[in-house]
Parts: sequence; C-alpha cells; structure tokens
Amino acid sequence: MLTATSATPTSAPALLAEGVSKAFVSGQQRTQVLDGLSLSLNAGELTLISGPSGCGKSTLLAILSGLQKVDSGRVHALGSELGLLDLRALERFRLQHTGFVFQGFNLFPALSAFEQVELPLNHMGLSRVEARRRAQESLEEVGLAHRMRLRPSELSGGEKQRVAIARALAKEPELLFADEPTSALDAANGQMIIDILHRIARAHGTTVLCVSHDPRLVVHADRVLAMEDGRILSDRRPHAPDASDHGTPS
Amino acid sequence: MVALARKTLIYEWRRFLPAMLAVGFAGLLQLLQIALVLGIFGSTSLYITGSSADVWIGYPGTQSVGSGRTIDADVESHVLMDPAVQRVEPYIWVDGDWRGPAETGGVSVFVSGIDPSADGLMFSKALPADLRARLAEPDAVVVDRSVLDQLGVELGQTATINGHPVRVVGISSGLRALGGVNVLCSLDTARRLDDDPADAGPTYLVARLRDPSQAEAVAARLRGDTAFGPYTTWSAKDFAKISVRYWLFDTGAGAGVLFLAGIVFLVGAVITSQTLIAAVNGSVREYATLNALGVGVGALRKVVLEQAFWVGALGLLGAGALGVVLMLLARSQDVPVVLNVPAALACILLVMGLAAVSGLAAMRSLRRADPATLLR
Repeated sequence: MLTATSATPTSAPALLAEGVSKAFVSGQQRTQVLDGLSLSLNAGELTLISGPSGCGKSTLLAILSGLQKVDSGRVHALGSELGLLDLRALERFRLQHTGFVFQGFNLFPALSAFEQVELPLNHMGLSRVEARRRAQESLEEVGLAHRMRLRPSELSGGEKQRVAIARALAKEPELLFADEPTSALDAANGQMIIDILHRIARAHGTTVLCVSHDPRLVVHADRVLAMEDGRILSDRRPHAPDASDHGTPS
Repeated sequence: MVALARKTLIYEWRRFLPAMLAVGFAGLLQLLQIALVLGIFGSTSLYITGSSADVWIGYPGTQSVGSGRTIDADVESHVLMDPAVQRVEPYIWVDGDWRGPAETGGVSVFVSGIDPSADGLMFSKALPADLRARLAEPDAVVVDRSVLDQLGVELGQTATINGHPVRVVGISSGLRALGGVNVLCSLDTARRLDDDPADAGPTYLVARLRDPSQAEAVAARLRGDTAFGPYTTWSAKDFAKISVRYWLFDTGAGAGVLFLAGIVFLVGAVITSQTLIAAVNGSVREYATLNALGVGVGALRKVVLEQAFWVGALGLLGAGALGVVLMLLARSQDVPVVLNVPAALACILLVMGLAAVSGLAAMRSLRRADPATLLR
C-alpha cells in the first residue's frame, strides 16, 4: 500500500490517519466530506494542505487535531488513538501536545499580548515564573518583544496573528495546526507568518500542519497535499530532488 | 494566573453595566420592600418594643398585642412573688370608637391604658416623661402627631371615646399603629372608657426583671399555674415576634412580600442572565480557541461564574449605597423603615443567588464554544 509519506522509515509518524471517513447530514442531504482518506505526517515538517473551498481540508484538520470525531477509520497522534479518548482526555491531549492558529485571531480584547500568551500556560500546571518565561520567549520569537503590553485593539492584523502564533508556540507543542493563517493578512504580513511557521517546524521539531489556499505558502512547505472532494489528489515535496507525485493515497 | 474574568469585566464594563444595574435595582427594590414591611409591621409590636418590660403575661393563645383578652388581676401578686421580678404593672387595651370635634365620623382607636408614674414600664421608650406625667389627670389622652387630621382634634381639645369624654393633653411621635390609631391614657381613664361589663381585669400584666437576660426562663417558670384562671407568659422578645409574625403571615401581607420578592428575583435574573449570555456570546470564539488549546470547559465555566459573582457584588454595592440614602430620606419624612441584620442578609442572599442563577444560565451558552466551529 502506498502511504503518503517519504520520511525515513525508522521514525514513527507524528500523525497517522487510516481510512478516515466523515460525512455531514443536514436534513435529507448527506455530504461525504472525507472518504476513506489515509495520511501520515512526520515530525519537524511543515505540511500544507491546499485545495478549493469545500474540499474537506478544514474537516481533515479538525479530525487530525482531535476537535472532531471520525465516522470510520482511525487517527493516531503521537502514538495515541484519538478515537479512544473521551472529551476530557482529548482536552488534556490538546493541552499537552497541540497548538492552534486560526484564520480569525481570536484574542481576548481585554488582555495584553503577554496575557494572551500566558493564559493557556496557566492551565498547563506550569509555575508562574515558568509561564512568564515562556510567554516572554515566544513573543520574542515572533518579534513582538516591544509590543507585548499592548491590547489587540492597539495591534495590527499581522501583529495579532503573531500573538496568536506565540500563544500556540509557548505551549511548546509537538503538533501545531494552522487554519488559513495568512488569508486575513496582506502580502508582507502573510510572508512573515509563513516564515515563522516554517522556522517553528525547523527549530523546534514541531509537526506543523497548515491548511491554506494561499499560493505563497507552497514554496515554504516541506510537503504539499492537494485535496479535492474529500481525497488527496497529489502529494509533493517542492524542495525534494524528486519533486514528483508519490502516488495517490488509498 | 491571568485574571480573565475581572480584566474583561473592567475593559468591557459597558457590556456588563445592564447586568449590574439589573442586579442593583433588584437588590434595592428588595431592600426597600423589606425595610418598609419591617417598618410598618414593626409598629404592631411597638407596644412591646417601646416598653421596658421583660416578661408579658396575657390570655393564652393571644396572636397579637391588639387581640388580647382580660386576665385575672390576682395574677399580679402571683407574679410579684417570683424573686426575679422587680416590678409588675397592668396594661389595659380597649378598642374604642373616637368621635372628634371636627367632622370625621367615627374613628377606630386602640386605647392603651398605662401606668403614668415616672417609672412606668409601658411606652417608657416611646413616650417622653412630661407627656407621661400629664396622663395622670383624669380623662387625659396623648395621640401621635401624624393622626391629628384623622382624629379631627388639636392639642387641648376634647373628644369622646365610646361615649366618654377625653381631652388631648399631649402630642407625641413614633406612636403610629397599623389598622387604627393609638390613644394613650392612664389605667384609670382606660377602665372608665371600657364599656364591656365582661372586662374585669387587665388585658396584660407586664413585668421587669432584675436580670433581663433571664426573661425566657422566668416566663417559662411563671407559665402553667392555673390557680388564677387562664393566662400565659412570654418573654418580651417572643411576644414581639409573635405579634409581627401574625401581621406578616396571617394577614396575607407576608405572602405579598414573598410574591413580590419572587417577581423581583425573576425579572432581575432574566435581565442579568441575558446580559451575561450576550457577554459570553461576544467572546465565544476566544473561549473556543482556549478550548482548542486544551483549556477545559470547566475552567471556562469558572470564568463565566466569576463574572456573574462580580456583577452581583458590584450591583449589591450600588444597591447598598443607594439604599442607605433612600432609607435616610424615608426616615426624614416619617416613613417607617427598619432594616435588621437578618433582613439585610436575606437581601444579600437574594441578590447573589440571582447573580449565581444568571451565571449558570450564561454558562449554558458556552456550549456554543465548540472549537471545531472555528475551522470553517
């Protein structure tokens, strides 16, 4: 069987989906969003899923990150089968291992950039000092050291998205999920976000899964999956010497 | 820990203001209602609280001061024999029909026949000493200044009670009654005014003890002796409670208070919960993001509940401040308002309960904070 991976066979995949199906029912209408999709992602890579809207890429992201259950098939994340975890265990899994960046920045209007980043860390059981150290570090990493006392209303769109990334990054997650992180930003800011995500994958060994139809992202991704109608059409590695298709996953 | 609840409350205070106002006004309404009821119905125990007697002796089963029956006058000597008792005096209650000099028609009056001597117990706290002394004159009466128009009388004028002539020798304050008008006179005058031949002895005997803290024990000790015909005893505190409770619950006024309290609670809770729900909905994407990052729903609920708590506490603070001002204003206008610790606690409990219920209602809308909805 051809799996959508080309990593060294010795390392276990960070994320593994096997025969995942998902359908949404509204009234009499049943829409098959994902249809027997299999996929394997390696640690330390920035993977981009692109495709037209409605192709199921956001649903795939939700399922791989444990925000949504599958109808059939299995998802293994860092060795845990997500389908076997209950709501509490899923929350705990996400708390310990995952970071999210959304299209909307979803920052609390009342909190400063520093507090936005510190808030989830408070819930991880870190000491106050450690939480603050991490918040400081990740804000510095996204280049907002000088802006961290400001509230969202005083930040630009790009800065807000960098705060959101710092919020995810400060948790030091093994898995980072990003949903259209650049679509609300102009070219320069979009480019900056892409660079940061790429650097996170490289420097921290984080598995970054990014859903986007932003063509600028393609050149920065280690791997690009093109989706359509709930299936993966192509699987490319833009920088690999043999940047050809590795086949269609089952 | 980042104080999300408080920081949001301060930063978005305009959003929470309606809830604080709703809580505040619900608290204020409740506070003033209770103060008014206590003030008005407290006047039904004025005879007890305005006097310095520690133990009351009256007819068994008496439900309020105004509904006493005569007891045997010889009970007095029996009570006096108890070593704890320092002084005993009779108190005569007569229901009268007042006919004043002005055209007022008949007015129902409550005649209180008391010992006019300087060390008399009845109304010792409510009646100034000089007015009390004047009651010693035959047929002299004292009335409250608030009822002069009602009685159609002025100082020095004469009127009749139950057909017997009386003369107004003094005007006092703080003697308002519920359902009638208080008229104070001496025991001798009261006996003359009572035209019921069946009334032989006093309506009550009141006693002062050497040690007032023994009231309960002495009252219990004096009870149960039937040698002088039917009578029973109460400590002054108990009898005042019985009297107020009778008016509150047996007249339906208490039910009215409880009903209004329920309405106030409901209206306050609806407005407050709607405001809190709107506040939660306004931040639902942020809450969902936190949940995506693994912050549990329980922790998010705590944030909402904490906001509800602060809304309640701040509303209460406002209600308290405004309540004090309004109570002082009411006092200055002779409106009877009284607030005691249990009533104030009941108000606080009601307001915080209202905030808690609203917080719980708002918590339900956190269910919309499903992080999967952020991936669209």
